[in-house]
Amino acid sequence: MRPRRQPRIAALLLAGLTLTACQQAPPPTPPQNGYGATERAFVELSIATDEQALKLVDTPELVENRKTEIAELRKLLDAPYVNNHAGHDMPGMPTDAEIQLAATSPDARKQFVHAHLTEQLEVLRSAGTAITHPPTAEVVKLMEQHRAAELTLTQP
Amino acid sequence: MRKPALQLAAVLSMIAATLSIPVAAQGEPIRVAEFVADCQLSHRLPDDPIVLPNLAGASHSHDFFGNHSTNARSTQQSLEGQTGNCDPAVDISSYWVPTMYRNDTEIAPTGITFYYLGEGVNNPAGIQPTPYGLKIVAGNAKATGDADSIARWSCLHAGHVNPSKNFVECPAGTMLETYLDFPQCWNGRDLDSADHKSHMSYPVAGGCPSSHPVPVPKLRMVLRYPVNGNPAGLRLSSGTGQTMHGDFFNVWPRAEMERRVRNCLNVVMKCDHAGNHG
Repeated sequence: MRPRRQPRIAALLLAGLTLTACQQAPPPTPPQNGYGATERAFVELSIATDEQALKLVDTPELVENRKTEIAELRKLLDAPYVNNHAGHDMPGMPTDAEIQLAATSPDARKQFVHAHLTEQLEVLRSAGTAITHPPTAEVVKLMEQHRAAELTLTQP
Repeated sequence: MRKPALQLAAVLSMIAATLSIPVAAQGEPIRVAEFVADCQLSHRLPDDPIVLPNLAGASHSHDFFGNHSTNARSTQQSLEGQTGNCDPAVDISSYWVPTMYRNDTEIAPTGITFYYLGEGVNNPAGIQPTPYGLKIVAGNAKATGDADSIARWSCLHAGHVNPSKNFVECPAGTMLETYLDFPQCWNGRDLDSADHKSHMSYPVAGGCPSSHPVPVPKLRMVLRYPVNGNPAGLRLSSGTGQTMHGDFFNVWPRAEMERRVRNCLNVVMKCDHAGNHG
């Protein structure tokens, strides 16, 4: 009996495969106020940016703020942290070349710190309108407050 | 005196193998399973709807091809019904790559072709249409060298320059070009995944692995940049040439994708832009 059933099983398998391929399920609905793809992307990006910024900034308050933010951001992670942006020219993220240059030139450091603050503030404002998960939104707010104060502090 | 002739034949077959040129045997026609979309640069934004969804302005710079509306907030729903700049016009999919710079000046690619191929799997008749809304990322934006990169840079009209995973020096009068093959085996379930990669896989020994059992068209991106000479000043917004990567958000109308897979890939025929073959 088995040989006669095989074509039917094959047809069923094929139908299943075709059905799966054609289902074209809509993308998963973002969880309402949950820790979703946008929150995950923001947290990973911000940890990467802050860790890179720690190699650039030398004002004690800025260093302290970055460390506080990284600790808060890490609490939000729902999976082991992966740096997806290493080596990239991201808004607000100092590049290795900029960090090297800053080490030899106080003027360059001042300029790159200013760019880090203003560009990351733009990203934070964008995140502020996109993020719905309350604990993540709290960290966004904290970081925005830090950047605004830091910009005053580092005014030439 | 046969030796030189043999050497020549060997060299020719090596060149053919290197360039992936099908060698016709005994007068048989060359059969290639292929359909194609030729696109233009649409716009440039610091956005990435796959890696940084909804976070406008948070990404390194990308060059967007195809769908004119693509931005950080793009979804399947927002992309459909929009227009693009590909030939055929029915392909309103979104494609994007990191922006190339020479000494901080952006360089836009002038040749932008997406091949949809039946190669890579032994049974092209089993290839299924790319699922509507599927997102695929190819290449390694985090590559730190050749070992973790699948980028390929070469020179158009200068085949003697060896391809490399980083930028190559192309002779005057030629253009820098890059190839990127996207994974073509789907897990049959997810249109995206948390790392944006694990729902797709490359084939193994001519077949899709059991973890990713559904073969879909192999997407090959070929970009040509109007640059040559010393590549020292070149970089991508993601870093060196080795970090070249490409993103694809499929919004081909279902019927158009299905027709092309059936008419071109399943039967191993080379189709024109309209998805027809002679």
